[in-house]
Amino acid sequence: MTFSVLDKLFHFDRLSMTMIVLVAFIGLCVGSFAYRYLKGDSQYRTFFIRLTLLISSVMVMVSADHLILLLVAWCVSNWLLVQLMIHKPGWKAAKSAGLLATKNFSLGAISVAGAFGLFYMTTAETSIQALLHQHTLSPTLLLALVLLLIGAMTQSAIWPFHRWLLSSLNSPTPVSAIMHAGLINGGGFLLVRFAPLYLQSPFLLTFIAVIGFCTALLGTLWKLLQPDVKRMLACSTMSQMGFMFVQCGLGLFPAAVAHLVWHGMFKAYLFLSSGSAAREKRVDQGYPPTSVAFILALVCGLAGSFSFAVSSGKAWLTGDTTLVLNVVAFLAASQFALPMLQPKPLRTLPVALVGTGLFGLVYGGSVQLITWILAPMELMQPQALNGFHIAGTLALTLAWLYRLFLQKPAKAASPAPWILKGYVTALNASQPHPDTITTHRNHYQYQ
Amino acid sequence: MNTAVVTKPDYPPDYPIVQQAEHLDTAQLSDQVAHSFKTIAPFWPLKNLIAVNPLQGLEELPVEEAMLLGSTYFQQASLPGPMEAVNRQTIKWIQAYVDDGQATLPMPLRHAGLYTAWRQLAIHDTDLHDNNKQKQEWLTTLPENPEQAIREYLLQLGITTDEHTQFLTLLLTTLPGWASYIRYRTDWAGLDTDHPHPVTQIEYLALRLIITRLLWPEAKALLTWHQQALEQAQSEPNALDQIQQAESSYRLPLLQQLAAQPLEEPRTPEAQLVFCIDVRSESFRRAVETTGDYQTLGFAGFFGIPVQITDTVTGESYASCPVLLSPKHTVYESPCGSQAERENDRTGYVRLTKLKQLYQSMKYTFTTPFALVETLGVASGIWMGLRSLAPGIASGLRSNVSHSIRKTTAVVSSLDTLPLADQCAFAEGALRLMGLTHHVAPLVVLCGHGSATQNNAYATALDCGACGGRHGASNARILAGILNTSEVRAYLLQKGILIPDTTQFIAAEHNTTTDDVTLYGNASSEACQKLTRNLAKARQANSVERLKQMQKSAGRSDGGTQTRLRSQDWAQVRPEWGLARNAAFIVGPRDLTAALNLKGRSFLHSYDYTQDPTGTSLTTILTAPMVVAQWINTQYLFSTLDNVAFGSGSKITQNITGKIGVMQGNSSDLMTGLPLQSVYASDRLAYHQPQRLMTVVYAPRTLLDSIILTQPVLQKLFGNGWVQLACLEPEDRQTYLLTRDLLWQKAP
Repeated sequence: MTFSVLDKLFHFDRLSMTMIVLVAFIGLCVGSFAYRYLKGDSQYRTFFIRLTLLISSVMVMVSADHLILLLVAWCVSNWLLVQLMIHKPGWKAAKSAGLLATKNFSLGAISVAGAFGLFYMTTAETSIQALLHQHTLSPTLLLALVLLLIGAMTQSAIWPFHRWLLSSLNSPTPVSAIMHAGLINGGGFLLVRFAPLYLQSPFLLTFIAVIGFCTALLGTLWKLLQPDVKRMLACSTMSQMGFMFVQCGLGLFPAAVAHLVWHGMFKAYLFLSSGSAAREKRVDQGYPPTSVAFILALVCGLAGSFSFAVSSGKAWLTGDTTLVLNVVAFLAASQFALPMLQPKPLRTLPVALVGTGLFGLVYGGSVQLITWILAPMELMQPQALNGFHIAGTLALTLAWLYRLFLQKPAKAASPAPWILKGYVTALNASQPHPDTITTHRNHYQYQ
Repeated sequence: MNTAVVTKPDYPPDYPIVQQAEHLDTAQLSDQVAHSFKTIAPFWPLKNLIAVNPLQGLEELPVEEAMLLGSTYFQQASLPGPMEAVNRQTIKWIQAYVDDGQATLPMPLRHAGLYTAWRQLAIHDTDLHDNNKQKQEWLTTLPENPEQAIREYLLQLGITTDEHTQFLTLLLTTLPGWASYIRYRTDWAGLDTDHPHPVTQIEYLALRLIITRLLWPEAKALLTWHQQALEQAQSEPNALDQIQQAESSYRLPLLQQLAAQPLEEPRTPEAQLVFCIDVRSESFRRAVETTGDYQTLGFAGFFGIPVQITDTVTGESYASCPVLLSPKHTVYESPCGSQAERENDRTGYVRLTKLKQLYQSMKYTFTTPFALVETLGVASGIWMGLRSLAPGIASGLRSNVSHSIRKTTAVVSSLDTLPLADQCAFAEGALRLMGLTHHVAPLVVLCGHGSATQNNAYATALDCGACGGRHGASNARILAGILNTSEVRAYLLQKGILIPDTTQFIAAEHNTTTDDVTLYGNASSEACQKLTRNLAKARQANSVERLKQMQKSAGRSDGGTQTRLRSQDWAQVRPEWGLARNAAFIVGPRDLTAALNLKGRSFLHSYDYTQDPTGTSLTTILTAPMVVAQWINTQYLFSTLDNVAFGSGSKITQNITGKIGVMQGNSSDLMTGLPLQSVYASDRLAYHQPQRLMTVVYAPRTLLDSIILTQPVLQKLFGNGWVQLACLEPEDRQTYLLTRDLLWQKAP
């Protein structure tokens, strides 16, 4: 009896298992970090109670099969996250940041609830797994998927729902760590969970890819001009979420999960170590590179992307959307080769070739690991390349080239007016919400 | 500089007040600006945090009045509403401008200076002009000259000439932290003086004033707001009462104890160890002394060598001396050993830099970070787990890996850049100041200090203040090198200081987080070996004492292991207590304090008045190390009294900005002062005991009087009640306290 009820409520598959392992691992790391880091904090106990509850409810969320259970776990998790974010309600700015996040999450919850309502109305199913077997998309179902997408966008801080994330840094560091490795990925998880339905709508997939590209580019631009470490990390997460959406939009859902998992660990680590930011010294990259170095870097890039394709089990030069990932691997491998090729490109070419080859293997291997785990779910479904994909990839490439070649050295004569205007616009757009800024020192409270 | 002439051709002619504005001459305005900045204490950036009195600008006042005035400037619970909007925009721009290497695409035009750069960007700022044509127009016609801007907009705001200074001061005190950094950059910059992004006080105030003029045209109300705060403050209880209670229960017993200590005949011990005056040395010195026939001395940790240290491998430079001094010479440090070893070290450094470059080149650009995170995900996950769950193992692993990339090589300091005459002067000065002019032991260890912590924005606040917030080993190495030179010893002999030929000076560094002591140079002699073993014993003993002050983390391991773990743990917010609980500065021979447990609360400066008939040494001690001690003391005091207004709040929500300082959360004032965790054991329980410094000097009152008479800084500190001076009269072994009228009164 109880067994069958549990069976109706939950569905443990490889996706939920992957997420549970991720959340448990991050929870363990962040928890043991906070165990020392928060010593003496007046909210010490409360923090750990909330953290434990949050991890549990996220585990329920990722393994729920019943629509209502998923929705409830979704709302409870976000509510707990907001409580963790506020931490000290006496601090006005922290409370405002919590309120901003609440508004955003409420919008998301309403969208998801609307989507679930429509699902139930059209299919009379409360089980997600049963739902996914729909073979045709009625207009109502399409609307439901749009609503679900909005929910996913609010959760993952996809443009234009990014403001709460850039305003979330009044949170204690461990909360940021668990947030950027945990609930922020909720949007990606939702898309993957309902992937079989999204895969039936090439239009929606393309749309997801396009907003993904926009968010990825905007997030990276903002990240690069932030003068403080935590906002830089937040903008960076925004861009990474954008890329995760791109991967979903390309029909490469397991790749998106791989991105979600590895980015989560990477970003949680960076947040926890943000106290070291002042000690990090930037090394001059010597841009722009010489043309010899650049061309050889591109050659290495080809080698790197080839080994990426091999180790991630993909064809190298294909006409489908996996090509986008291969191009990203190519750009990354070229970038990786550049410092190795300077200052003597020809002499260090063999080292750079081997280095980028290895880089491609590790990169491809880590994607392949998750893809392999999720293989039985059959969610790796590359789509035919279209103009939007090509435009997005081109934009990613041009932005990369801009940083290499066009960004003027600091002492250069006055930059073009569009650069000045662009800088101010981007700086303003990436500011936290005014209410979440501590405008007067004594408004800050730690009690 | 006379630049009052407006040369801009398209300047709108319909500003009748502009001409009036020019009446206010340049010198007068500079005075007003400088005067308003005097209220703001400087803030040293994170790379070398220096303790400073947040009320430094008010030290000319009696401490009671200063605290009262300070509360009206810095401790107001709220601001006039529109000022919040002004602060938001100021923070946004100044944060971008003073960024020292965080942003990959930094604010453009910064080489041209703050005002020039900002003026060209502000015209595009919709947060300022709100797409209002008139305001946009107004922004495009800002004067080129910041002084002109200040003149003009003070007038437009209706601030009369005699209110100028007050108004400008309020523009600073309503966002005190960022102003503190500007104060550092303009008055205390040291090696940052030639910063590639120049800034002046006038420029900063012009920016602040223009934003105020734009967003709050009725800003004159700030003056009445402050007036009200002043009136209100009169009726509030003074925080000094609480402080005085703590002081009186501490000071008299200490004086009585000191007075009761017998002085012993001078003798030559097995070894002499010279430590920094830092309060953390006191408990360690006690521990060292019990392990053998050792005599310890206290001396400012830069060992009287005001130099700039340049690393010949990395090319990095810093001033290794108190910020009150400017370095006279540059000393070059290079790896020691054979040609091959030196070359190895250099290639190791290049390899390390290359790896960093590789990582950064992937991280700080477009598109490639997407691949970077997937590639490094597994590794960073494992590393995060290790550092969180097993910080000790992680730390060992880390040093193994970095060792395999670049071997840790001992460094030598070349004395070539120090002329012999200066070397002699440094040597004599140091020995006289610490009273080590006779009975020199066969082994003398000069022990600098530094801390070892992980993931700690405030790491340098735990380093040696006398070395400008750096590690002290370099200076110790230099002085040891000088004192081992035969020419210098010959000179010293002429001056009546006999150093036996058999005496060896050895440099060392005391790690204040773990109490490990590293000896430098040739430390293979029997005496050194024995000392090393004894120092290890002292470390164990002191670790036990340390742990009593810390909240214990489950007593599984012994004191030594736990203390070491604190220095290796990236999650540790209280790796050591630093100079918390500091309360006294004792100047005299060690005999006075050797038998006492001063609980790490006293700065100890060795001094022998019989060697100093003219008081030259004592003058130096009181005007240099004591002043530094007073800065430290007041920083701890005010950070404890009000950790929001004068401290930097809890570490858990801090956000490092521009690599120079921290903000709270998303964005805030630059948080100056010490973080909560440095002075509080918990959110509510203070660990530091807020009390003012008491300086105790073992010397005749007449000598002290003659010094105070000629030193305005001492008259200020003693007369205004910032420091209490006590004299332990050698003649009759009575203790006397200096009253605020600078008269002696017998201690009760």
